[in-house]
Amino acid sequence: MRIRPAFRRLAGAVLCSLLLGQSAAFARETVKIAFIGPLTGGISAHGIGGRNSAELAVQLRNADPNAKYTYELEAMDDECKPNVGVQVATKAASDKSIVAAIPFYCSAVAIAAVDVFHKFRMPMVVWAAVLPEITYGNDYQEVNRVSSTLINQNKVGSKFLVEQGYKTWVSIHDTTDYGKSMHKYFAENLPANGGKLLAEFGVGSDQQDFTAELTRIKELNPDVIYFGGLTPLAVRVITQMDKLGIKAQFQGTSGIFGDAFIKSLGAEAEGVFTTYDMPPVEQLPGGKFFLDAYAKAGYKEGFEAYGPYAFAATSLLLDVIEQVGPDRKKVIAALRDTHGKDSIVGKIEFDDHGQNITPMTTMYVVQDGKWVAWGESDYASGKRKLKNL
Amino acid sequence: MAAVPNDLLTVVPRGARPWLPGVLGLAVVAVLLGAFFYAESEWEVGVLLAIAAALGLAAPRVPLLASAETAWRARPRLFAWLALLAALGLIGLFREEHLALLMLATALFHIAACMGLNVQFGYCGVVNFAGAAFFGIGCYTAAMLAGHAALPTALIFVLGGACAALIGCVLLVPVLRTRGHYAALVTLAFGVLFRSFMEVNDTFGGPQGVKLPDMTLFGWALAMPPEWFGLDWSFYVNYALLGLALVAGLFVLLSRLERSWIGLALDVVRLDETAAATFGVQLTRWKIFAFVLGNFLMGVAGAMYAVMIAFVAPSSFTLGDSLILVSIVVLGGVGNQWGLLPAVVIVMLVPEKLQFIQEYRFLLYGLLVIAILLFKPDGLLPRRLRRYGTEEAA
Amino acid sequence: MDIAQLGQYVVNGMMLGIIYAMVAVGFTLFFGVLDVIKFSHGDVLMLGAFTGYAVYLGLGALGIEASWLQLALVVIASVLAMAGVGALIARFVVLPLRGAPAFNTLLITLMTGMVLRECVRLFFPAGSNPKPFPRLLPDTQWAFDGFALRLDSVLLFAAGCAAIAGVHLLINHTRLGLAIRAVAQDSETARVMGIGFESIVLLTFALGSGLAALAGVMNGLYYNEINFGMGLLLAVIGFSAAIVGGLGSIYGAILGGFLFAALQTLGAVALPFGSAYKDVFAFAVVILIIAIKPTGLIAERSSERV
Repeated sequence: MRIRPAFRRLAGAVLCSLLLGQSAAFARETVKIAFIGPLTGGISAHGIGGRNSAELAVQLRNADPNAKYTYELEAMDDECKPNVGVQVATKAASDKSIVAAIPFYCSAVAIAAVDVFHKFRMPMVVWAAVLPEITYGNDYQEVNRVSSTLINQNKVGSKFLVEQGYKTWVSIHDTTDYGKSMHKYFAENLPANGGKLLAEFGVGSDQQDFTAELTRIKELNPDVIYFGGLTPLAVRVITQMDKLGIKAQFQGTSGIFGDAFIKSLGAEAEGVFTTYDMPPVEQLPGGKFFLDAYAKAGYKEGFEAYGPYAFAATSLLLDVIEQVGPDRKKVIAALRDTHGKDSIVGKIEFDDHGQNITPMTTMYVVQDGKWVAWGESDYASGKRKLKNL
Repeated sequence: MAAVPNDLLTVVPRGARPWLPGVLGLAVVAVLLGAFFYAESEWEVGVLLAIAAALGLAAPRVPLLASAETAWRARPRLFAWLALLAALGLIGLFREEHLALLMLATALFHIAACMGLNVQFGYCGVVNFAGAAFFGIGCYTAAMLAGHAALPTALIFVLGGACAALIGCVLLVPVLRTRGHYAALVTLAFGVLFRSFMEVNDTFGGPQGVKLPDMTLFGWALAMPPEWFGLDWSFYVNYALLGLALVAGLFVLLSRLERSWIGLALDVVRLDETAAATFGVQLTRWKIFAFVLGNFLMGVAGAMYAVMIAFVAPSSFTLGDSLILVSIVVLGGVGNQWGLLPAVVIVMLVPEKLQFIQEYRFLLYGLLVIAILLFKPDGLLPRRLRRYGTEEAA
Repeated sequence: MDIAQLGQYVVNGMMLGIIYAMVAVGFTLFFGVLDVIKFSHGDVLMLGAFTGYAVYLGLGALGIEASWLQLALVVIASVLAMAGVGALIARFVVLPLRGAPAFNTLLITLMTGMVLRECVRLFFPAGSNPKPFPRLLPDTQWAFDGFALRLDSVLLFAAGCAAIAGVHLLINHTRLGLAIRAVAQDSETARVMGIGFESIVLLTFALGSGLAALAGVMNGLYYNEINFGMGLLLAVIGFSAAIVGGLGSIYGAILGGFLFAALQTLGAVALPFGSAYKDVFAFAVVILIIAIKPTGLIAERSSERV
């Protein structure tokens, strides 16, 4: 069983200072930052993965003898509910001892709570929420985001598959803000790229049975099934596709990327195609280090799809604080001025809305129980073939 | 069960200062509550929860505490006023604490919504598992009207309630025809339907939700920090006061209603429909009255809450949220307005205060509620029998 | 739509229906003996599925490979374990609140469900992610021109029917069933007649929960995927089905279960304005049915207890 985070933090701090054998750890000023994500409820796996990654970034920094401050991460649970999000954002932002925040996995929560950060002038870097409006719907200096908006994924993915020779699509998406927006941008881009959308199926985010929808889809016989939603739903859809003997190629989005997807599906995951906003972690500067450090830290949960983003956002924030000191105003200005900064999710480049605009959309395919970047896969080299081609 | 004979035997002490223990008790509650809002670290919250649990368990046995209760019941009006003063004092004390005031206001708006539920199944016995849906209708009404029409804010609050009441009327036929679990299903189905509809339908903002602009109530800018007495205040103080005014107003209204012949009629309908009908009490009329009034109150509370949070999205109005409202009513003791206070603290504030245990907080919270119900199967403050002939009835 | 498609929908709907019916029968049993809503029912189902999964992993570690043996042990262990859990819940959570208003029972079982769910999420290894449930049934499949019938579906359907029939026989044709019915009708009189009230209640809860465990394992075998949140929706639907069908009647629960499955399938396939509205549709129809038949489709015979 895991030790309670607070205790572990304490134990970690004590251990660090003992190991380093220096009084420096005690002499440093303590700076607090907040992490916000869904730690309970249906998609808590992602929230906990992000929390662990952010915590790891803080621990690594604290172990660095050159760091000017000792950092403390206060993790908060937004339950993926906008009203709770406003509550915890207020908790973080109104606490003067907390300098900045790494908030939000859920887009609706982010949209509800960006105003709070603006009101209290607290700098923040969104780690995972993908809706464009979070950064582009306002002019708040406080709001930045390392993760991409979901627009690019849908442009790149459908264009690529059309080029491969697919012609017809059916879209299944959950009816949350994530799934609906995914579908919206997908449906906008597909015809422009020359593909045809035969039908759309909105499904509940906790739906178990898709046989009715899938039987209808079998009748329509599309080349590709596009899926806008998260891992648990995708796993159910694919298992049931197999049972009904549907041979269509499966196209996912960032919401299915991660180990959980492959672990839950086993062999059936083979050949699943998805777009995701990051090149393989190990190929990025510091990526291998992150993987090793995460494994060494002994977390019981995986870091999931957006863990690297949480790590990158936290590291970016810590760098900025090291640079300008724990002063909200200075951090706001310095954060916005991030250009071409190396991170484990690629170079971070904020535009004047604080949106990271480095194009990082990468196509992946599952090959032998692993997510492999398209260019390096057997599918690209022609050794294996996607379904229905 | 033991409460009833106790209640009948209680003799109001005619000593020199019978109200003194009551005032003391009230002060203890206020101080505990204030400390709870302030508490941050795990041990602070833990100690406060332990003290509250010890007091709660010991209350019936320790003479001083018991006499505080007696004093409260002997002079309810005096102590209601004192409680109001204490609440104002707390708000004054917290004037710069954004989070404490936000939580206080959230708690107050939820108390108001639960008062609506209390009218429905506490007084009249009409169950409603769609509380969050009616609360949500109020929220959405405020969001739609504030975004699209230049209506005075006060009117928006009333319209929020009116819309909830009106849409609730769709359910009148099945609710009137059914009882018990069957009625529960009707409202439960409506709650699920409402959330699902708001999510798939884009007219009202869809799953992404809608933002509300800052509002002004009779020239009172709700989203701006006020400048009273030359002190610094958080802008949430406006909402806390608004919530307090709503709850206080409803408290007066509903206590009168409860003690009037209307309340009596509602009680009869709840306790024995057959007997009620035999004595000429019109079941249909009173059920409609309670259901519509309750929904109206939930709608008003929702509209105010939406203005404070400045955002509404369907994911805040799930079946789980409806059950949270029911939990507050049940935990407090069905039908007792005072019970809502400790219940709302447990149901809404304890999970917030447990943030430090992160993903484990709902596990602990669930165990806590189970433990409370096992110790107090009728809720924290069960409703007492009507008593006439004391000051209460005067 | 041709006949093969229609057949496919019917087969899918039947499978969905039998699982809903099994959950609904549990609700009806609890209503029957104690007049309570036990909202942790769906989470007991989920726990049953996870118990089955854990047993499967354990058998794998022991080197037991024969799938029929695995299946038998998974089912037996899960059903027995959940029967125990059900009896424990009845003994320590439901019965202590017997004197309290019915809603308090609802609240406490709701919280019990949450505790079970959170425990699985937090303490089962990687419990917050979906788990692949093993395929222990033969995957023979008959395909006729767009219509696929799988042997495992047929077996599961038969197992579901057998389980419900078994419960029905038990209730109507055994001494134990007689005792359960006696308690359901009038617990005071039953007590006077020398029926151990508490033990009958515990047995009934064990029976209902064992049925839920079976439904959980079946659910896992059918979808090959289980997750900690699967019980929530099943509880809401099972509860709705039990009530729409008519409380206290096993036939009602079965009818309600299949009706709900039919509504969902219809909503997903035949609605002119998109499948996203299928829940809105299904629950709207439920409200309508209750408005027309206020005591459910198969009315309770002794609903008036004046």
